[in-house]
Amino acid sequence: MSALTGYSRLVVAATILMTLSACSTTDIAEVEEPAVAPMTGQTNDPAPGFANVKAGSEEDFILNVGRRTYFTQDSATLDSVAKATLDKQAIWLNSNPQWLIKLQGFADDSGSTSAMATLSQRRADAVMAYLVSQGVDASRVWAKGYGNDREVRDCTSRSCKVQNRRVVSNLRTERDAV
Amino acid sequence: MGWTRRDFVLGGAASLGTLAINTPTFAAAPSYFSGTSVDNGVTFRSTNFARIDRKWQRQVVKYFSSEPIGTVVVDTTHHFLYLIMENKTAIRYGVGVGRDGFKWYGRATIDQKALWPRWTPPPEMRQRHPELPEFVDGGSPKNPLGPRAMYLHRDGVDTGYRFHGTLEPGSIGKDASSGCIRMFNEDAIDLYQRCPIGTAVQVLPHIADQAESAAKISQANAVE
Repeated sequence: MSALTGYSRLVVAATILMTLSACSTTDIAEVEEPAVAPMTGQTNDPAPGFANVKAGSEEDFILNVGRRTYFTQDSATLDSVAKATLDKQAIWLNSNPQWLIKLQGFADDSGSTSAMATLSQRRADAVMAYLVSQGVDASRVWAKGYGNDREVRDCTSRSCKVQNRRVVSNLRTERDAV
Repeated sequence: MGWTRRDFVLGGAASLGTLAINTPTFAAAPSYFSGTSVDNGVTFRSTNFARIDRKWQRQVVKYFSSEPIGTVVVDTTHHFLYLIMENKTAIRYGVGVGRDGFKWYGRATIDQKALWPRWTPPPEMRQRHPELPEFVDGGSPKNPLGPRAMYLHRDGVDTGYRFHGTLEPGSIGKDASSGCIRMFNEDAIDLYQRCPIGTAVQVLPHIADQAESAAKISQANAVE
């Protein structure tokens, strides 16, 4: 556990450092996601990969477990709903050991840019600690905060903010190069 | 005409507990239920999804619209609830909606959520059905809200409408409630996890992409 905390601290420090030094290169979560081909077809068609969902696939995780854990304003504490989501994730991850998990934390709360970076990292770390406490091997998981990198925009401020106060559990087959 | 579908639903709700225990189900059709599940200490009957049309089962579909991620959109004509996700996709759930005359449209937010909520029949419903109790405890096999309710508010005021579970999986895909949006119990639990307090909701007659199909449906209904 102390190793984990040490690692987390390192990441927080690194994130703050990056935020402070990032004048031209913003750390954006979307950029790190695999590029997605523009969607064609009709509403209500099965989404790519979802026509026949296989147990243990990423599609299975998205449809039957859910990737997102939400937080209340200015908090990195897991409430009962968050824990219920993470309990399901842990059960799934424990029975599908081939997957690695990248946890992306986000914040859209009150405070400075660096406060948002810290909060988003604390959220990602809280999710990581909980998954590990539920038996997920710590070596499969890493956590990174993206601060106020708002994925959800163009809605009323409140509905957007609640979506942006989250940690997304992304399945990976290998660790990020960065 | 005296025996409406709603009467049937309510009557069913009131007597379900005894029915389920004492009388064998109809022999021919497989049951809408299969085994039991436990949720937050409450044992409930699991939906037998083998019996349910694939159309009404939870699935990820393409969804072309400008609604922001995390928004819930309900297409009442086609009995679908969409939770918008990234990259022009959405999780689609089959739902049962209010009968004609009870339909409600507009924007709202999920401002309150409850686990195994107590059900208080609205006064006008108790006037029509004096046999209904003042309230039904949460977790009761007679409680039509099922394991979850998400309460729709507008400008901070309760609209009286909810997303909730059901006692009757066969009513999903149909118009058969008093304006509420009912879901399979498993789906109500799933949606509850995915919608933080403050989630934006839009209830529509139909989504724009389905206008043509909606016109056909309303024509068919007019002939009836």
